[in-house]
Amino acid sequence: MVQRRKITRRDLLKSSAMAAGTLALTGAGVPLAYAQGSDTIRVGVIGCGGRGSGAANDCVKSSPGVKIVALADTFADRLNGVKNRYQVPDDRCFIGLNAYKQVLALDDVDMVILATPPGFRPVQYDAAIRAGKHVFMEKPVAVCPAGIKMVIEASKLAKQKNLGVVAGTQRRHQAAYVETMKRIHDGAIGEIVSAQCYWNMGKLWVSERKPQQGDVEWQIRNWLYFTWLSGDHICEQHVHNIDVINWAFNDLPATVWGVGGRQYRTGTKHGNIFDHFGVEFTYPNDVRTISTCRQIDGTTGRVSERIVGTKGTSNGAGKIEGENAWQYDGPNPNPYVQEHTDLIKSIRDGNPLNEGQRIAESTLCAIMGRESAYSRRQFKRTWFEKSCTLDLIPKDDLKLSDSKLIPRFAIPGEYQLAGLGGQRRG
Amino acid sequence: MASSENNKARNGMAVGALGVAATLASKARAQGSGKIKVGLLGCGGRGKGAVRQCLNADPGIEVIALADLFESKVKSAREGLLKDEKYKGRIKIDDDHMFSGFDCHEKIAKCDADLLLMATAPAFRGRQMMAAIKAGKHIFTEKPVASDVAGCLEVIKASELAKEKGLAIVCGTQRRHELNRVELMKRIHDGQIGELVGGQCYWYGGGIWYRGYQEGLSELEWQCHNWYHFNWLSGDQICEQHIHNIDVMNWCFNGPPVQFMAVGGRAHRSYNEKQIGPAKEVCRKYNNGSEAEWEKYNGDIWDHVFAELEYENGARCLSLSGHSPGSGRQNEKIVGTKGTSNCNNQISGENAWTYQGRRVNGMDQEHIDLIKSIRSGNPLNEGVRIAESTLTAIGARIAAKTGRTFKWSWLRNRCKQSLVPSQEELMSGKGIFQPIGTGRDPLV
Repeated sequence: MVQRRKITRRDLLKSSAMAAGTLALTGAGVPLAYAQGSDTIRVGVIGCGGRGSGAANDCVKSSPGVKIVALADTFADRLNGVKNRYQVPDDRCFIGLNAYKQVLALDDVDMVILATPPGFRPVQYDAAIRAGKHVFMEKPVAVCPAGIKMVIEASKLAKQKNLGVVAGTQRRHQAAYVETMKRIHDGAIGEIVSAQCYWNMGKLWVSERKPQQGDVEWQIRNWLYFTWLSGDHICEQHVHNIDVINWAFNDLPATVWGVGGRQYRTGTKHGNIFDHFGVEFTYPNDVRTISTCRQIDGTTGRVSERIVGTKGTSNGAGKIEGENAWQYDGPNPNPYVQEHTDLIKSIRDGNPLNEGQRIAESTLCAIMGRESAYSRRQFKRTWFEKSCTLDLIPKDDLKLSDSKLIPRFAIPGEYQLAGLGGQRRG
Repeated sequence: MASSENNKARNGMAVGALGVAATLASKARAQGSGKIKVGLLGCGGRGKGAVRQCLNADPGIEVIALADLFESKVKSAREGLLKDEKYKGRIKIDDDHMFSGFDCHEKIAKCDADLLLMATAPAFRGRQMMAAIKAGKHIFTEKPVASDVAGCLEVIKASELAKEKGLAIVCGTQRRHELNRVELMKRIHDGQIGELVGGQCYWYGGGIWYRGYQEGLSELEWQCHNWYHFNWLSGDQICEQHIHNIDVMNWCFNGPPVQFMAVGGRAHRSYNEKQIGPAKEVCRKYNNGSEAEWEKYNGDIWDHVFAELEYENGARCLSLSGHSPGSGRQNEKIVGTKGTSNCNNQISGENAWTYQGRRVNGMDQEHIDLIKSIRSGNPLNEGVRIAESTLTAIGARIAAKTGRTFKWSWLRNRCKQSLVPSQEELMSGKGIFQPIGTGRDPLV
């Protein structure tokens, strides 16, 4: 591995698109160790489970000159699929809770895919930006307000360092949504006066506890079901739909009030998350919206959004009804690939996308919905941002063998909203 | 009773529909300016309030009969009324007009009252109304009018029969009788806020009483005493309380929703120690000290339902109800393309307006309106409307408890839900405990 200065490497990436004179600014561009094939984007995958391996495939598919060159996962058995597929050598595959640090320490890695459980995202994202890597990260990007603050700060740093940041809210890169939103923002449905979004579904996978597994190991393998890891399903899944509503409003809710519970999915293996939420997000001018999400096997599914204006309504995804009726009939490239195409193009163009702040804000809204439902308290976003002290960020010295008691699921009337005179829990 | 009034009554009615002489006699007494004899069915807090509001509504009202599951409540209700100076000379309840037991509604229907006020637990309203209408009584009924789908259908039938017989049915959804809301709704229906495209309604409060063990009551009697906590008796909180706000939404849209989607549960009721303790005590009392099945004594109602009511024009409205510590809210909002309204006294937007007129207490006014309508020979009949609003609340509850989305037409025409035991099954003895909703109960 040839040692190079990071700034050189990044500038090389965009060299194909830039005037020679700009490149000369760096001065240090001289080593040109990568004179040939210099715009290859070398990607490290941190978190090689289902989503990480899917994102790696989409990333490689998205653009020419993308190579998976390093891997990290907490568990060897979760890493092997990607390792074999991309023939990543042993010495560039790292195992353990701190394996991500080893990938970030590799100078020839330009970009990382962050796809570990969301609870780890703020720390890993922060470290990736500090290490000068472009980032594609899965949603959500945090599970608590402390994590959101980290992500927002790191995103500012990414901007200073001219690093690309794209988050896996693929609807933002889906042509039908993009075209619809342009029209909504242009006033095609008038002023928005109501909206709904849903992620109601059946069940998801469960990783049953094996006898030899310690608390932390089992919880990470079964991460969906623990608030400190997934943020609960309102955060882990429904953030997609909440993000679409934020997008339509070009704004964030001013207040939140939610309910929820654990009515059907009550087993120990289902950790401490809820099985349903119903949240009212109120946007400026007292525009109230419905958000529901449910994970109960055998119930009616609905995953969609609806935006209602004074002149019409829209599904957000290619259709407008009313005065300015319209239907999208353009191409529909796979949005899971497109988000990588857009990221890599932006890096190569020298104008890297930075979605960090935006995805942090949408994640924050989902967390607000959860905390409101856990406590059954209505509150303002400004209060939550300033005063909620909930901090679920894992300690740096966390070990798989650690014992970790999971707090009981939230019971309204008992659950203390952190920062409102209560104690920490999660 | 002037004979002209009598003729008016005859003329106003379908000839074929009215074969029962007794019915005519009852109507004759009630119309015009004569005395109206009232019987009260359900002598709890709401019943005792309703009978006074009825007495206040018209000087010609006399209370002549009382009925309740519990004899003690009938006695104390009479005592209280007799003590009240305000109603001196108008409380004429003979000993043989004091009815109790599970069949007390049948007994009071047979007495010589013109008007029955119904304020028992909602479960029995269908059969109570049917017995009363068949016996030719006018009705004031507290909301809701059922706890299950079958009950709503029975009320619809009773209301249709009431129409044929020219009998009045007014229901205790008092917002419909508040002048400010009546004026506001006229404007909403006139299009002052444009097309209705959204709305919200809420009844979220801190909690409700839990009535513990009481010496001398059988298990079923205790259950009826503590009726709020049992779905088959109260219809759950969404039905028992939140119906007020749901009814306002239906009023805005001039009809019930076309589709239901909802989530919900009962975390706080199931797990909070303050809820659990008293239930365990009741369990011990009825089971020789054992706490083996204490959960069933804790009731089966939920503590939150978050429902989406979709109306005919596609507008999707929120209905949020529940009980727990935390934030509360009891109101409505309706959103149109030209403005919004608080569903109470104000319109904001293009046609901004604030109600400036006289204010009345809806809980008094509903009785005034009822009595006036009886006396005028044009009896109000709110039966189908309140049955539909009750069914709306029950539909949202079923959507939450089954996790299924369905249409009004299915609920109204196909749903077979029937939770209330038959009259024969109701006798002093073991309680009737139904399973707690899971969030994916089968659709019936």
